[in-house]
Amino acid sequence: MDPLPQQSTQPSPQRDLVFCHVCENEYYRDEHGLTCPECQSDFTEIIEPEHDPRSDRMADDEDEEEPSFLQLPRQNPFHDHRPWRETPDPDDGDIGQIRWTQTGPGNFSVTGTIYRTYSPSPRRGNEAGNDTHDPQHPIINSFATMLQSIVGNNLGAGLGSGQRQSQGEQTQTQGGQQSPGTSPNSAQTQGGPRIQDIPGGHRFTYHQTARLVPRDANHPHAHLEPVDDLNNVLASLFGALGDHPGQRTPGTQPGQPGQPPQMNPLAALFAAVLNPDLAHHGDFVYTQEALDRIISQLMEQNATGNAPGPATAEAIAALPKKKVSVEMLGPDGRAECSICMDEVNVGDEVTELPCHHWFHQQCVGMWLGEHDTCPHCRKGIMDRSKHDENTTSTLQGAASDSSGPSNRSVPSPNPTPQIPGSFGTVESGTAEDHFLVPETREQQREHEQQAEQPSPNDQQSSSPATTEASGGSISERIRRGLFGAPR
Amino acid sequence: MAASRKRILKEYGECMNDTPSGMKINFDEQNITEWEILMDGPDQSLYAGGHFKLRLTFPTEYPFKPPVVSFKTKIYHPNVSNDDKGSMCLGMLRPEAWKPPNKVISVLHLIQTLLIEPNPDDSIEPTIANEYKDNRKEFEKTAKDWVKRYAK
Repeated sequence: MDPLPQQSTQPSPQRDLVFCHVCENEYYRDEHGLTCPECQSDFTEIIEPEHDPRSDRMADDEDEEEPSFLQLPRQNPFHDHRPWRETPDPDDGDIGQIRWTQTGPGNFSVTGTIYRTYSPSPRRGNEAGNDTHDPQHPIINSFATMLQSIVGNNLGAGLGSGQRQSQGEQTQTQGGQQSPGTSPNSAQTQGGPRIQDIPGGHRFTYHQTARLVPRDANHPHAHLEPVDDLNNVLASLFGALGDHPGQRTPGTQPGQPGQPPQMNPLAALFAAVLNPDLAHHGDFVYTQEALDRIISQLMEQNATGNAPGPATAEAIAALPKKKVSVEMLGPDGRAECSICMDEVNVGDEVTELPCHHWFHQQCVGMWLGEHDTCPHCRKGIMDRSKHDENTTSTLQGAASDSSGPSNRSVPSPNPTPQIPGSFGTVESGTAEDHFLVPETREQQREHEQQAEQPSPNDQQSSSPATTEASGGSISERIRRGLFGAPR
Repeated sequence: MAASRKRILKEYGECMNDTPSGMKINFDEQNITEWEILMDGPDQSLYAGGHFKLRLTFPTEYPFKPPVVSFKTKIYHPNVSNDDKGSMCLGMLRPEAWKPPNKVISVLHLIQTLLIEPNPDDSIEPTIANEYKDNRKEFEKTAKDWVKRYAK
């Protein structure tokens, strides 16, 4: 039985291959007919691509026979897996430099090199200066540069830019040309895969070393996965980034502008991922700009949430009323409510806020019902400590609060900013710090009393926060949180 | 709302008495909450020579809510959104920054000021704002180009 040359034979359409189920011989039907020449058995079968009795049998016989060297490949489920069956082999000239080296007793190293030339897209063949119209090109370039820094200089020139070639490849560029047969010198191929720019495109050099170790047929061997080194993986990646060789338009000379750039899908994917203009994926962003966009979007969605909260109805009702006096009129002897722009006359009743700005009761009431700020200067009408107590009492239940309403209804002579959730960066004192654990009511009263006494210090420190109500707005808080305290 | 209607009419009168230079307000008696504003690009700005159509919309809650400004004419500006809305939202026009005493006439002045000097730090189009800051030449070129293309 000499199955060696036949084991690997695939059934060909011209000649029927016959398999003997008794002795597992394989032979051509046109040579020996349907009777096995080895054992004269007629338990034979013609091997067809759809039904190969050999593999069935091997599965069945696994336990009966000790695997032999020649049968081992069959047990590999991928022994017939040839996804590149339809792909034409590289040109003969592309394969070169197969060298056998004895590395030890019985050990051999086989080194082979395959050159493959990828055709360029017109875009990539352009001069670097012509590429400005294509935003994706520099991205791929920088990606190539990044990979280059990972693997060292083995990758040689990156995609596209013909100006980044190293010296050695520069000379090679001349020799490479379009014909794959003129192979680079061996010194170049030693270093693993190379990508060169040649006038017609990029040449990728795959450099693979196989390790051959003598088999011990009597003992099982550990399965050795073929290991591809990183350089080869990257070279394949760059190969994939290039256009398919078949896509080259005949007659198109590299460097000719005007050809619509056709993106390889993989290259397009990378370009899309790395393009700063598209630097966000859902809620995930890569750039400051995209982050800003999302933040402003959030702020717009919460436009009303930015504003200070409303003043309570009691506080609004408790604002002092006063008659318009002559002093309140402007220099031209006229005055108007700045909300409705209606003129007011001496003797009309208006509502005065703690900041001494005055409006029609109805006008300012509508405003305060939504924002606890003076329409002019944005000072709140409710005292901060009262407000704290307010919220606390709401939490604790109204029953425990006896002094609240009367306290609340009297506007403090020295109101502090009434911004719920404010960080209160400009104030000092624990009562202002919303991040502290809530105080007991006794402590609160103490602070209240302190706050009731107007101190120049207090006045000073609270004014910056009150001039602009943005002190507690969400936008401000986000900004502060992200970029530190405002200047 | 009667109060806001009254105020809008008053403000219209005020604007008529003191229309900012290069502006024209088309006022529809039937729908006083939508003003159409025709504005010439300020002479000292990049937008000189352009004619811009804007719409000023008063919300029903006016003056408690800010009016909404949108450019109907396409304009290349860091503070105007580069879409079909052409919205402008900054400074006093922000909902949280608006206060009732603000007046339409000051809004109109704000728009003019912004055309003369964009505010890239409060931009609605960060890309344009960055170009304004880092590559002013390119920005000016595009802005002028857009004036020629859209605002003639």
